[in-house]
Amino acid sequence: MLISLRYFAAFIMANIVSIATFAQITISGNVTNSTSNEAVSAVSITVKGSGTGTFTDDKGNFKLNSTKSLPVTLLISSVGFSLQEVQVTNPADFVRVNLIPSNILGQEIVISATRVPERILESPVSIERVSAANIRNAPSANFYDIVTTLKGVDVTTSSLTFKTPTTRGFGGSGNVRFNQLVDGMDNQAPGLNFSVGAIIGLNEVDIDNIELLSGASSALYGPGGMNGTMLMSSKNPFKFQGLSFVIKEGIMHTDESERSLSPYHNWSLRWGKKVSERFAFKITSELIQAKDWIGTDYRDYNRSSGVLKAGTRTTDPNYDGVNVFGDETTADIRQVLNGIAGQAPFLAPFISTLTTKPINVSRTGYTEQEIIDPNTINFKLGGSLHYKLSPNTEAVIAGYWGTGNTIYTGASRYSIKDFKMGQYKFELTNKNWMFRAYTTQENAGQSYNLSATTQNFNEGWKPSPGNTGWYSQYGQAYLSSKLTGMSDMDAHNAARAVADIGRPKIGSPEFNGLYNSIRKLPVPAGGALLDKSDLYSVEGNYNLSSVTHSFADILIGANYRRYSLNSQGTLFADYNGPISINEFGAYIQAARELTGYLKLTASARYDKNENFEGRFTPRITAVFKVAENNNLRLSYQTAYRFPSTQMQWINLDLNSYKLIGGNKFFEQFYHFNTNPVYDRDLLSKGSKSQQTFNQLRPEAISSFEGGYKALLIKSKLLLDLYGYYGQYTDFLGRKTVVQSKTGAPITVADTAQGQVYSVPINSTAKVNTYGFGIGLDYSLPRNFTISFNAASDNLTNVPANFITSFNSPKYKLNASFGNTGFGKGKQLGFNVVYRWQDGFYFQGDLANGNIPTVQTLDAQFSYKLPKTKSIVKFGATNLLNQYYYNAVGNSFVGGLYYVSFGYNIY
Amino acid sequence: MISIHKFKSRGLYFIAAIIILSACNKEVEQFTEPVTVAPAGLALGETIAANTNNTLFYNLVTRAGLLPAINNKATTFTMYVPDNNAMKLFINAISGGLVPLASPDAVFSGFISANIPVPTAATIVSYNIIPQALPSASVPASFPNFQYPTIFNPAPTLSAFLRLTIFPTSRNGAWVNNIPISGADIITANGIIHPTAFLVTPPQRFLWDRINTDAGLTYLKAALIRADSGVAPTSPVSLIGALNNIGANLTVFAPTDAAFQLTLTGAIFQGLTGLTLTPANAMAQPIALGIATGLASTPAVFTNPVLYSVLTAQTVKGIIVYHILGSRAFTNNFSTTPASSPTLLNSAVPVHPGVTLQATFGVPFVTSATVKGLGNATASNIIINPAPLIPDPSGSSDQHYLNGVLHKIDQVLLPF
Repeated sequence: MLISLRYFAAFIMANIVSIATFAQITISGNVTNSTSNEAVSAVSITVKGSGTGTFTDDKGNFKLNSTKSLPVTLLISSVGFSLQEVQVTNPADFVRVNLIPSNILGQEIVISATRVPERILESPVSIERVSAANIRNAPSANFYDIVTTLKGVDVTTSSLTFKTPTTRGFGGSGNVRFNQLVDGMDNQAPGLNFSVGAIIGLNEVDIDNIELLSGASSALYGPGGMNGTMLMSSKNPFKFQGLSFVIKEGIMHTDESERSLSPYHNWSLRWGKKVSERFAFKITSELIQAKDWIGTDYRDYNRSSGVLKAGTRTTDPNYDGVNVFGDETTADIRQVLNGIAGQAPFLAPFISTLTTKPINVSRTGYTEQEIIDPNTINFKLGGSLHYKLSPNTEAVIAGYWGTGNTIYTGASRYSIKDFKMGQYKFELTNKNWMFRAYTTQENAGQSYNLSATTQNFNEGWKPSPGNTGWYSQYGQAYLSSKLTGMSDMDAHNAARAVADIGRPKIGSPEFNGLYNSIRKLPVPAGGALLDKSDLYSVEGNYNLSSVTHSFADILIGANYRRYSLNSQGTLFADYNGPISINEFGAYIQAARELTGYLKLTASARYDKNENFEGRFTPRITAVFKVAENNNLRLSYQTAYRFPSTQMQWINLDLNSYKLIGGNKFFEQFYHFNTNPVYDRDLLSKGSKSQQTFNQLRPEAISSFEGGYKALLIKSKLLLDLYGYYGQYTDFLGRKTVVQSKTGAPITVADTAQGQVYSVPINSTAKVNTYGFGIGLDYSLPRNFTISFNAASDNLTNVPANFITSFNSPKYKLNASFGNTGFGKGKQLGFNVVYRWQDGFYFQGDLANGNIPTVQTLDAQFSYKLPKTKSIVKFGATNLLNQYYYNAVGNSFVGGLYYVSFGYNIY
Repeated sequence: MISIHKFKSRGLYFIAAIIILSACNKEVEQFTEPVTVAPAGLALGETIAANTNNTLFYNLVTRAGLLPAINNKATTFTMYVPDNNAMKLFINAISGGLVPLASPDAVFSGFISANIPVPTAATIVSYNIIPQALPSASVPASFPNFQYPTIFNPAPTLSAFLRLTIFPTSRNGAWVNNIPISGADIITANGIIHPTAFLVTPPQRFLWDRINTDAGLTYLKAALIRADSGVAPTSPVSLIGALNNIGANLTVFAPTDAAFQLTLTGAIFQGLTGLTLTPANAMAQPIALGIATGLASTPAVFTNPVLYSVLTAQTVKGIIVYHILGSRAFTNNFSTTPASSPTLLNSAVPVHPGVTLQATFGVPFVTSATVKGLGNATASNIIINPAPLIPDPSGSSDQHYLNGVLHKIDQVLLPF
């Protein structure tokens, strides 16, 4: 192994060094747009027949050193323009090029589908691409929101900046089945397990493109990508140069239904500089500040089943509101009443008439709006240094750091406060190979769980138990009220008023002092998450095509990952120091074009996690070229995910139950081997079913997909169709079990008195998904475009009472109409985007319920100022301010109206 | 240019269409609660007001200031409501006969407004109100009685939870305490009325108050003092303490002084002679009989040092606790066939069969009742009131106190 590594290193070095010679002549010039006469930046200028090339800078200028002797032919290309060839005979001539805009439909180049560049028309699997131009012309206030309009994509919106996309089902706030990569780095927070692409990562002016692979994609990108992989790539400073910024100022909450009218600030900045032909760097930054959307769902629900029900604080003594916190604490006040009966026998018969069934009472909560008044701040800082070791080999050191406040929905709502995450990488890229080492450094900052914090806050101002505790006061007052002939509910409300005497008022010094001290304490005493988990990853690939092309294009790659879970015992069972989890994987892909009409690609990947058995994931794809620009694609893909770090190692005491991981460690730690646990639901029905602590298995999907992509009607219509069928096995879920607190044999009474655990399990059920999508993009005359896409996702063979959290509307569609440049000087632009999605039943860790049909209308109107290379844009998302939400417990999203000024945005 | 116009107008149609389409995102799904229908019909107070045979009690309720409370349809009560005749009997009794029964109704209502103080009226009415719906069908027939709190708290400063209790039963017919229910349930919008032919009056004193002051129970008082010797009245084992405790729920079978004298004379005679006191033995042992009679002739017998070794505190206590039930038993609660009931002695001797109770009913009241001790040859008679419902302090049976019922009996009950 060691020897082969040495050979490999030598091979790489040879690759770098062998071409390390440089030019003798210099050619310079300028590129403009033939219709608008604007300078065109980031245009690729290459010398035909050589690997030498450069890009135009922000003024359209270029300077190129070539080793070839004159005359040379320059190839001048840029997406959206026709390729031009210019012959240069005299190096002293200043080359002026007028690029002619062209149809770009289907011409975009994608990389992620096979890890090698290819036209999107020829991709063997379903892929969506968002270019910088799309972002520039989109009405979204935040670039990340544009993915919502892609075909087959569902986005769960936890708050203004916390959005989680998925494809083909299984949406949710912390989707662990969908990978997000930023410049090749997995963007998932290693401890908290949610991807933070919207808050830590690239900014609007630094995004080069987003590629989104729908459905299973583990074969190339490793575990996790069961429902898709989104790859965000930033702009290389060699190509994109100069200062760029966008200042966006907007307003939200215009109807003041949730909170008063407030401003929205979003400033993005990028400075890219090519210092020399070898060295370039960039600095990027973004600031978003706004009063966030708020979760205002005050419907009553059953926390253990997550099911919504009728009831309010004044009609249900055990009310537990979805976006109300602190009311999760519940107790049966019969204990108090029976205590009184024991002391006052003359009341015993009366009390016995009240206590024929449980009288569960929840403590009085505070609404989300009251306790967090969410003020979203998001600050990103990034940068990279690029050094060309040779014309074909580039070394990159890059870092993306972000901090912010946002709101996330998990088993509770979480205030992500002063969260910090940094991703730092070292990368070597060559046209044939790539090596990358990176780390993700997470710090949960002052993030806290709203339920745990508010429950503990309630205990802080008046403890629940004890002779003078809240429940004792409540029970006594309830009985007093009943003794005056009051109805049950009146007596409950009167009792609550008594027990709540002294309840700190929102905003009072007493409230703020106590709340702020408790939210900083880790659970179970407080609500803080002290997570500082890290990820270290090394990966590389090598394209052997130069050697193997006659047989097949072969790509090989491997990666190694190490998670270091560090929560100081507050989130994970890491009392004795950080817990490490090691994973490695390797893959090979072979592609071969047969007969010019058929291209076959086969991939295989093997992954091993130290806590789980190894997984082998194959993928086979075929692309049939039916006619020029008409391609049929077929694929069989598999994907899987190892249980998340939390599912393996979490150890969270949530007062009413313990949320634990599936690692064998817990079996010993909680003595399940000597004091077994039982299925709580069955036990409550009188059946004792012992729950064995089985080794968890990775969850897997195998999926078939067929698709057709074509340019039709004189290349004016791009059509993309797909259909898929998949089967999930070993679904990862959770189960509630109970253990005797004393070690005595389990009894039905332990349902309430025992120690409750939520343990991860693999389901034995197999469920199937299927769906289809259609996309149409039509180029109208005069640069108008109209686009439409629709998709459907479905789940079948779901066993009764099986919670899948499929969370996907059966149908969804997007339609848009726009123009990137019309009128005099092509200075005007607009885009109107309409989205409709079907209602669906949402199942989440926090709550379940029907999500109504959602329709949104976004629009923007822009005006270019070519002389100053700037653009003014008036935009609105959710233009009609129709509040909607797409997961129970999440914020209700209303209209955002903004005006932006962008300078030098490409 | 024409084509641009075309596109513009098409675009406008398109935009208009989607604006119309997207004009209404639905509100979140709401779950409707079962609608609580406000109770229909008359409330309790209105029902009483509407009944011409309840006018006097209605006057009393008004006097008590409780009308708004019982007309509040948000609350639920059960009320015992006496008819006008019952109220007249009550007023006739408390006026010492000054208001003759034959007086016009206006005289009675005038008496209520002028002579019954508001707090007294409130106490009486409150004692007739249970703060929950208690239809006859739900009234238990079990023995001992269930006690239901009324809304009357006799000592709020002592405890907010203190309530005088009332004792409905369906044993031997329908009763509340020792008052018969005279009609079917009247269902109102906010509760139930049980009509009664007599007013249910609240107790006002403790059992000990009666024993301590009744000239015919001096031996019982002395015996209780002897039984409690060396025990502080505040001690939980103090019998006098229990008889003074508002939280207690007792039935005291109170042997008359004559009964104690007879029993003590016999016991002392036997102690002196070794013979059971019979007429023949008495004639044979006149001196002993004289001594015994002399010693037993006053309640001081319990504090006579000569008898300390015989009438020990323990012995006396053993006898006395055999006269007390840990529940409230009006004679109408007794079974018509002999039935045993545990006494406080059972706390020391759990297996003891207790006393045997039996009652014979006339119409509607009990005409005779007995309680038999295990060691007694014959049952002791409860001295039934000469007329029905003679209240404390004049009656001899079903004397109701804050913490129990007292019945005078004509024999001392012997546990063994």
